[in-house]
Amino acid sequence: MTHLGSLALALAFLLACYAVVTSLWGALRRQEAWITSGTHAAYAVFGCIVIAVAALLQALIIHDFNVEYVASYSSSTLPFQYTIAALWGGQKGSLLFWTFLLTFFSTIVHLQNRTKNRELMPYVTATLMVITLFFLGLLCFITPPFERLSFTPQEGSDLNPLLQNYWMTIHPPSLYLGYVSASVPFAFAIAALVTGKLSDVWIRTTRRWALTSWFFLSIGNLLGGRWAYEVLGWGGYWAWDPVENAAIMPWFTASAYLHSVMIQEKKNMLKVWNMVLVILTFALTIFGTFLTRSGVISSVHSFTQSGLGPYFMAFLLLVLTTSLGLLIYRFPELKSDNELDSLLSREAAFLLNNWVLVGLAFATFWGTVFPVLSEWVRGVKITVGPPFFNKVNGPLGIVLLFLTGVGPVIAWRRASAKSLRRNFTFSLVSGVIFGVLFFLLGYRNYYAIVVLSLAGFVLGTILSEFYRGTRARQAMLRENSAQALGRLVGKNPRRYGGYVVHVGVVLIFIGVAGSSFFKIEKQISLKPGETVEVGRYTLKYDGIKNSEDAHVASQAAVVEVFVGGRQIDTMHPEKRLYKKQNQPTTEVAIRPTLREDLYVVLGSYDEPSGLATLQVFVNPLLSWLWIGGIVLVLGTCITMLPNPAERQALALARRSVETGAEVAAD
Amino acid sequence: MFKKSKFFFGVALIVGAISYLMYTGIRETSLYYLTIEEFLAKRETLANEGIRVAGRVQAGSMNWNAKDLHLSFLLGPFKENGPVHGVQVRYQGILPDMFAEGRDVIVEGRYNTGAVLEAKTIMTSCPSKYEPEKLEAKRGLEVGG
Repeated sequence: MTHLGSLALALAFLLACYAVVTSLWGALRRQEAWITSGTHAAYAVFGCIVIAVAALLQALIIHDFNVEYVASYSSSTLPFQYTIAALWGGQKGSLLFWTFLLTFFSTIVHLQNRTKNRELMPYVTATLMVITLFFLGLLCFITPPFERLSFTPQEGSDLNPLLQNYWMTIHPPSLYLGYVSASVPFAFAIAALVTGKLSDVWIRTTRRWALTSWFFLSIGNLLGGRWAYEVLGWGGYWAWDPVENAAIMPWFTASAYLHSVMIQEKKNMLKVWNMVLVILTFALTIFGTFLTRSGVISSVHSFTQSGLGPYFMAFLLLVLTTSLGLLIYRFPELKSDNELDSLLSREAAFLLNNWVLVGLAFATFWGTVFPVLSEWVRGVKITVGPPFFNKVNGPLGIVLLFLTGVGPVIAWRRASAKSLRRNFTFSLVSGVIFGVLFFLLGYRNYYAIVVLSLAGFVLGTILSEFYRGTRARQAMLRENSAQALGRLVGKNPRRYGGYVVHVGVVLIFIGVAGSSFFKIEKQISLKPGETVEVGRYTLKYDGIKNSEDAHVASQAAVVEVFVGGRQIDTMHPEKRLYKKQNQPTTEVAIRPTLREDLYVVLGSYDEPSGLATLQVFVNPLLSWLWIGGIVLVLGTCITMLPNPAERQALALARRSVETGAEVAAD
Repeated sequence: MFKKSKFFFGVALIVGAISYLMYTGIRETSLYYLTIEEFLAKRETLANEGIRVAGRVQAGSMNWNAKDLHLSFLLGPFKENGPVHGVQVRYQGILPDMFAEGRDVIVEGRYNTGAVLEAKTIMTSCPSKYEPEKLEAKRGLEVGG
């Protein structure tokens, strides 16, 4: 079966080349037959990749340890769900998985546009197939996934224990979905630049793709944070690690893009900027995946150590030079006529939002690649850690939070003093109330109070928006409040779904602020029966429970939790040993409440002395981060609901293009 | 009316603010990132500097006191070449998950004049074939924030 897999990959490579050539040829010659052939070839590429994926999955499931990949990333005792997860758990499998998603999305794009966007589609096909060729090139010539060993090991090396965890199983697919779906707006942007069809059509067509990309990037980042919190056991969820930064940077630029497209649609401004953002987001996804697998940042001296690094860099260079070249070529046609009238306007707020988000991406990028650059320039590697990122991104985040309250409500073009008073009085009051409330509850930190007050401010604006919209419908249409609210959201899911997303963002800020500024930490070694006080909790260590099976051995500490003399819980932080890899992992015990998380780690257990070393954290308000994440995801789902107004606008834009109302350059 | 100058002023302000934040951020928080050989070569010049050193825990040098949570060991070269040598490291805190003699670690801390590297954070890596960075289990006190 693996031979079939290799053949399928080789065939896919040839078909992808064919698809690129025929699509471009057909577009240049204006011959539909060639273009159609190219599209069919793209479908066939997907078919081949499906076969290749099936082949690798089969090898994993039947434990064919003669295949190097199967031997490296699975074992006979590995639970079934992780055997499947091994498909993307190793380097080659993850590249194959990426290619699978890319060709799957290409298929959807082609099906969606069977009768639409005929001018753009050949170039979309060509772009998507060129990207596919890069990955297929790696899979066919550099890191073939079906390589066999000269012998067959009795047993596999097993999937890394850190990956044998529910969150870690779904985190890479989610991120890959986010990364790969960013290719679609990029392909359409390239097509628009090449053909000169620079109207809104390409943006409106790819709106759901951009949203999908952002959706999965959000989920991927949240899951990664959740995994870090539950499994790595250092009491936090984000360390500004190069790999984490790789995933957050495209999220920043994608967030900026989702906002600036609104300005382009309403005011016909920022066309060049939107192109730049789409290109940048895609480039960052490639850069991100390069960072994650080349080890270029983490090791002390290492560009030459990475196997695939140079190839990714070359491809990235190709992407950037081609897209920026096209952008410069089309620059005169993209420049807009409208300009900014006043700094107190929605346009200005959105522009500032973009600057902050791109600033966040830039600062994160700079901090991440600084070691490589400093080595290049000064010969010595200088690194920056979490303090740098917190110092720079913290204030930027606060400005962003403030804008979240201002942007949706402030008037277009120029906000008068009267409109400002009308729109923001309620929210300013709610901001102050929040600040005072938290202060009285004991959260005494200047920075944190600012963040929490802003949180109240933003929630105030969102609440007043929902309220006013609902009341307006009730007054005009005689609906009851539930009907009015439902129809309000249904008629404009983009706007009100966006508001729900903002609520999620605010909750995340609250969770971050609480756990960052008011964290309590204690490390102590205890004998059975001894207690320790952390925050308002008293913890009593009772002893160790051992358990074991063929796959893993575990030591669990029994820890009783008391508040005010009364026992409220028993927790079991564990140390596990995964036998195949002989690797210990930590299973953190977490007791989450809305007010705070109690987080207990078994650091080590010294058998001779009976001493258990415990590390205890109290993380205030952290649950709100995860709740905010869920709200954010739900809000995104709302924004993707069918939107009658949106459909009309897209049809209108298309019709105006077809009737030649737009001048298309050649 | 077209207020170009106002726009550019605003942009300059934002760019300036972000640049300032980044510049001071780097100046205040950056650390040298060295291999153990580089460190040993220039250890005199690094007194009281914040640094990160990558090396290997030398066999027979690990000393872990579970009661006081005190760890000390010798951080030396990755390959064996000559007599056992390196820099003495002291660390207060929970023993990192995969810490053991013969393992590769990255120590972040301050090199004080007592010829000891006072570690704030110890990062262990485990032998693996996929992304090495994903598998770093971080242990240590994160100061601030």
